[in-house]
Amino acid sequence: MKRIALVLAIATVLSIPAAGRAQQYMGTSGLLHVPSAEMHHEGDAFMGIHYLDKHMTPDTGFLYAGEKYNTFDYYVALTPFKWIEVSYVCTERIHAKQGDEITKWGKDRSASIKLRPLEEGVYWPAVAIGCNDFATSVFKKDRTDVQLYFMNVYLAATKHFSFGGNEVGVTLAYRHYLRGYNAKWNGLVGGVTFRPAFFPQARVVAEYTGNEFLLGMDVLLWRHLRLQAGVKDFKYMHAGLALQFNLLGQKYRY
Amino acid sequence: MSLKRQVIQIHRFLRRCVLAGLLLGAVLSEASGQSIDIFSGVELHFKDLDFKRQYDVLINLTPGFKWDMGNHWQLSGQVIVPVFNQYGEDFSGIRPNNLAVSKQLKTGPFYWKATAGLFSHNRYGIDLKTFVPVTEWLAFEAQAGYLGQLFTWPFWYIGKPDRFAGTVGGDIYLKRWNAQLRGVAGWYLYQDYGFEAEAMRHFNHTTVSVYANWNNLTRFDAGFRVVVMIPPYHRKARVVNFRPASNFRLSYTVMFHPYSNVMYKTDPEENERDGWFDRDLLEWGSHTMAPDFIIEGKEVEE
Repeated sequence: MKRIALVLAIATVLSIPAAGRAQQYMGTSGLLHVPSAEMHHEGDAFMGIHYLDKHMTPDTGFLYAGEKYNTFDYYVALTPFKWIEVSYVCTERIHAKQGDEITKWGKDRSASIKLRPLEEGVYWPAVAIGCNDFATSVFKKDRTDVQLYFMNVYLAATKHFSFGGNEVGVTLAYRHYLRGYNAKWNGLVGGVTFRPAFFPQARVVAEYTGNEFLLGMDVLLWRHLRLQAGVKDFKYMHAGLALQFNLLGQKYRY
Repeated sequence: MSLKRQVIQIHRFLRRCVLAGLLLGAVLSEASGQSIDIFSGVELHFKDLDFKRQYDVLINLTPGFKWDMGNHWQLSGQVIVPVFNQYGEDFSGIRPNNLAVSKQLKTGPFYWKATAGLFSHNRYGIDLKTFVPVTEWLAFEAQAGYLGQLFTWPFWYIGKPDRFAGTVGGDIYLKRWNAQLRGVAGWYLYQDYGFEAEAMRHFNHTTVSVYANWNNLTRFDAGFRVVVMIPPYHRKARVVNFRPASNFRLSYTVMFHPYSNVMYKTDPEENERDGWFDRDLLEWGSHTMAPDFIIEGKEVEE
């Protein structure tokens, strides 16, 4: 029954005129969990919130009484120029509970930056390098307590192909997480995206994170509301929404 | 203070503002070239220091006025009106935030702004700012103030002027990218010293910046700032103008050092996008972009 509900939820999202190119839970462009070399439009700004199934978070830092829990994050992000994206994310942590009520909250703060030195051409892919959760250690006096739960660096290449107005994007990336407990997501990762000609605002994503396969899609409503949903093994869902504005006043369909 | 009492106080205050504005407008209508703007903005403060809730939140209304007396003379005033407060009693009272007279002028390559009166951060005194454009992309700036303390909430206190605060720095404006780099070093309001570097990107009606600073007391900090100019962007020039505040400003700091690298504000709508000087006096930096506000019927002073 749960699987049917998930499939229906994704089908509902698919039926709405919309689009995206986001590794949305971190506020930056990308696939679902995998980074890509795609970039948002220059001037795009985002404010969003994302529900994270416990399989999306690191195996340390998001534990209570020894067990992982589902959580959510929220973020702001900006593309000041077409070759750089920055984002700032707060991921909720539980510090104490009484029964089902959470009595003490905390936040893991992380900043991300992504640079695209090579723009996609007719015969070559776009290439981007990036880093998530890079800033904490700069401000910590006690470096032994540095958290960096999401810290990773990556090099990604993305190429798009068109046929009959449809667009297929292929992404291959090498990613390395700093912390050993995230090692399952290290190495070669990648995915495929499909943007249908009759519905160019929508994008379907299939990806391999290094440890699991994810399937999902993202959509953009009324040029300003971005939605993304994904599932792992048709069991574990993550989803989010973001408000999107172009600060240069441009109006993009996706 | 009870919510009912606060609402009554806010209502009384706003009614007096409107009446004073209309009265002043009637007087000003006889004086050519003068106008008064009556406005209000909203301040949103939040801090993440309490584990028991997501954020402590403080929301203030910031009604104020600006009387443009011509020749770049200005009288301004502003009060802070808390409407939602989880910051504690010290932030619960209606209190003045600005009551100052200022004059801007240009002498040679120097632009000057002198201000006297009540400033933000419970300070009064005199303030002098200067800005020196060297080229269309390089400029230098300095600010100096001689200040005393003036508290009206939660207690009355007026101290003698005994503090100096000042900054000196430079600006680089990259017109092609509408980007601005700013670096300042200073002896700041709370008698600390340090420096700050800021990189700004100006968009249509919005400026976003990231900054990093160092301070002798609290060391490193960083964050970002967002300045959004508030619509409507097309306005009519009247003797008395009722409008929203010109901008909403969000400032985020990673380390939360509220007493480090802080300077007072002498203008109730001061922000990083507009700078210190009027657009029709100083054409440099973001003032060379298309104006945020197009005011129909306003005479431009040469």
